[in-house]
Amino acid sequence: MLKISNLHTSYGGSLILQGIDLKVKRAEIMVIMGRNGMGKTTLMKTIMGLLPPQSGKIELENESIGGLKPHKIAAKGVGFVPQGREIFSDFTVWDNLRLATMRYPRKKRCVPEKLFEYFPILKERKNQRAGSFSGGEQQMLAIARALVANPKLLLLDEPSEGIQPSIIQEITRILRAINKETGITIVIVEQNVDMILDLADTCAFLEKGRIADTCPKDALQKDDSMITRYMAL
Amino acid sequence: MKSDISTIKSTDISMQRSVFWQPRPAWIAMGLAAILVLFPMTQNDYWIVQLTQLMVYGIFAMSLSLVWGYGGILCFGHAVYFGMGAYIYTLIVKGMIPGFSGILATSIAGLLTAVLCVSLFAVVVGYFLFYGRLKGPYLGIVTLAIAVIAERIAVDWYYIGGYNGLFSIPPFSVAGYEFITPIALFYFVLASSAIAYLLLTHIVQSPFGAILRAIRDNEARAESFGYNSAQHKIITFAIGAAVAALSGALFAIVTEFVSPTLIGFGLSTEVLIWVALGGKEVILASFLGALLVRTLETYLSELMAYYWILFLGVFFVAAVILFPKGIFGRWLSD
Amino acid sequence: MTDLIIQLLSAMNFVLVLIMVAMGLMIIFGLMNVINMAHGEFFLLGAYTVVMTNRLGIGFWPALVLAPLTVGFIGMLIEYICIRHLYHRPLDTILATWGVSLAIKQLIIIIFGPAGLTVAPPLPQMVTVAGIEYPAYRVFIMAIALIIIAVTFYIFLKTDFGLGARAVIANRDMAATLGINTRRMYRTTFAFGSALAGLAGAVMAPVMSCDPQMGLGFFIPAFLSILVGGTGTLYGVLAGGAIVGGGDSLLSFHFSPVAAQVVIFSLAIFLIRIRPQGLLGSKKP
Repeated sequence: MLKISNLHTSYGGSLILQGIDLKVKRAEIMVIMGRNGMGKTTLMKTIMGLLPPQSGKIELENESIGGLKPHKIAAKGVGFVPQGREIFSDFTVWDNLRLATMRYPRKKRCVPEKLFEYFPILKERKNQRAGSFSGGEQQMLAIARALVANPKLLLLDEPSEGIQPSIIQEITRILRAINKETGITIVIVEQNVDMILDLADTCAFLEKGRIADTCPKDALQKDDSMITRYMAL
Repeated sequence: MKSDISTIKSTDISMQRSVFWQPRPAWIAMGLAAILVLFPMTQNDYWIVQLTQLMVYGIFAMSLSLVWGYGGILCFGHAVYFGMGAYIYTLIVKGMIPGFSGILATSIAGLLTAVLCVSLFAVVVGYFLFYGRLKGPYLGIVTLAIAVIAERIAVDWYYIGGYNGLFSIPPFSVAGYEFITPIALFYFVLASSAIAYLLLTHIVQSPFGAILRAIRDNEARAESFGYNSAQHKIITFAIGAAVAALSGALFAIVTEFVSPTLIGFGLSTEVLIWVALGGKEVILASFLGALLVRTLETYLSELMAYYWILFLGVFFVAAVILFPKGIFGRWLSD
Repeated sequence: MTDLIIQLLSAMNFVLVLIMVAMGLMIIFGLMNVINMAHGEFFLLGAYTVVMTNRLGIGFWPALVLAPLTVGFIGMLIEYICIRHLYHRPLDTILATWGVSLAIKQLIIIIFGPAGLTVAPPLPQMVTVAGIEYPAYRVFIMAIALIIIAVTFYIFLKTDFGLGARAVIANRDMAATLGINTRRMYRTTFAFGSALAGLAGAVMAPVMSCDPQMGLGFFIPAFLSILVGGTGTLYGVLAGGAIVGGGDSLLSFHFSPVAAQVVIFSLAIFLIRIRPQGLLGSKKP
């Protein structure tokens, strides 16, 4: 599904990603872990086309998407939930969702009803200003927005950041459900160990701009030495 | 997070560069100085006069190079300082300012007062602009507005000559010696250029210059290191204004007249083009830019008449896109 | 009393046209982070379109359609030829568009000469407004400016295109990741903003002396309006335009145009010092 090989990216004059190799299978939930400053956000932004890769390949279903503009990558079926959510806080919830349909011709612009089954709160508060939402509600909106255009691949950058535990659990549950029902592939960058263990099929560990290790979640549950090794400060 | 590491690195690099400043511009400056010192031996009076004027513009260009290239302050109204310098000098040596007579109306007093007043003015303007956190494009257009207004004031102000400006400025004199001959003026301006060049390169290479570049490259970062960016910018602005005022006063000395065109939008535009084309991030390149564009203008504006400015505009656009570091800037730095 | 009404009416005239020009400038700046220094020259081109149509003998009215179309097209061309290459160095776009402004101005001088030109008023009759005789054409200017301002507000606040544009203004990267083609939006917007300036120029041509420097006379107050009102919001332009344009116009009556400029400018700078984001602005400058 997603295949990244030998990816290098610089940001602000220094090389952050120094040869990423990563394979994500269809319908898999892959969690990428690592300490701050290891290049997790840079990796997400590079996949999404917000940062230009210096060298290396990014392939989505055997089609190279490395170096394309973000809107082209979105059109290939990648949805993105950035760090800090980045919802349009002055817009209504509905406008936030509608934005993701702008790439289609006018008549085909619609927000799928199915979305509101996962996120009923968004339907209730359709006309409310998104900025008035709590952090968790904003995160749900950001995820819903990324799903509006039915992507094949969903990228999430630290979805648990600054959100209260009960909502993290709910978001985890929803993501699981969506993954099961639609077969969407999900790549998440995350530091919250509980969420990781709840959600992941496979875990990858990012260190110093490289994928240092990957392992299935089951192995991680039995032995958490890997987590302490790559995550402990 | 990620950006922390990267930007600290890049700031470090730029700080290092100031320590090991490339020797090349210094050699070229010396070569250029030698040629200019010997030039009057050709006894080519036309070119001696031309070069004198060109060097005046060169000093003006260098002052903008400090402000814009190093301070990162895009100033569309730099001629305000040039023109103010010229006007203040003229008013003083012509004895037109009440209270300024005797020793206060001498050439030296005029020069010093012009430079001082203008840099004070720049401090006041800078206070509003930089503590108002104006930067980038905003700054550019606000300074542009200042230039336009200054020009209109100069045109409307009858006492300072209005539209026609002021004429018959007495020659520059020190201790009874009057700089009247082209050669005397030439050497006077050459010496001023050398002083301005040395002063500006010294500033740029000093620790102050390194901080300035750090602020230019990443203001937030420099401030997090504890530098007061507004203060540094105001000082830079004031030094740039002082040197610009010096060149303005020299202009009045050399040409013996001043007019509102010196203070306004037109000259501000020109100096920006010289500096951008020459290379704003290298003092010497800006000087050369002024010399080159002015010389070309002398020849081509006769040849091409109205088409010259059209050509300059289009060429300027192309140069901005293709040579962001300027023509000489690329060659004089690595 | 009559004097006061006349003053207010001509202040309103200036304010409305100024808002038209400033809106174009603001939209381009908000979306693309480009301060279009050639914006005044787009106004100029619009005015000279009227000069052209007059010379061609087809009179004033065709210019009302022709000016925005031509100037919009020229804007698109300029975006394609030069600005497009500079999106990653926003400060350089000021220099480049400024080179463009020099070139356009000079081109006009080459074609039409440096002297001021006047065109015949298209509506010479007078109408009665608030009990006084007032030129009909001035009323027409206000009407058309109001319509254009309303249409622009409608486009940006009510249509899908406007939603996309506002999203790009608020968060360019996020809008792009949602599939919005920001480059195409830039081009459309640049053309739209240029067309607004062109139309404003055409509308003003019959009441001004058309000379190659006239653009600057609108560019600077337009920019000050944005500074005063604040960027990122169209309402800010309304407030800024009213303060800068109205102040300038009324002060010019009572003192001199230069004094008015000095006062307004100092006021603007002072305001920025105490409120950097402008009166209604949300984004920091």
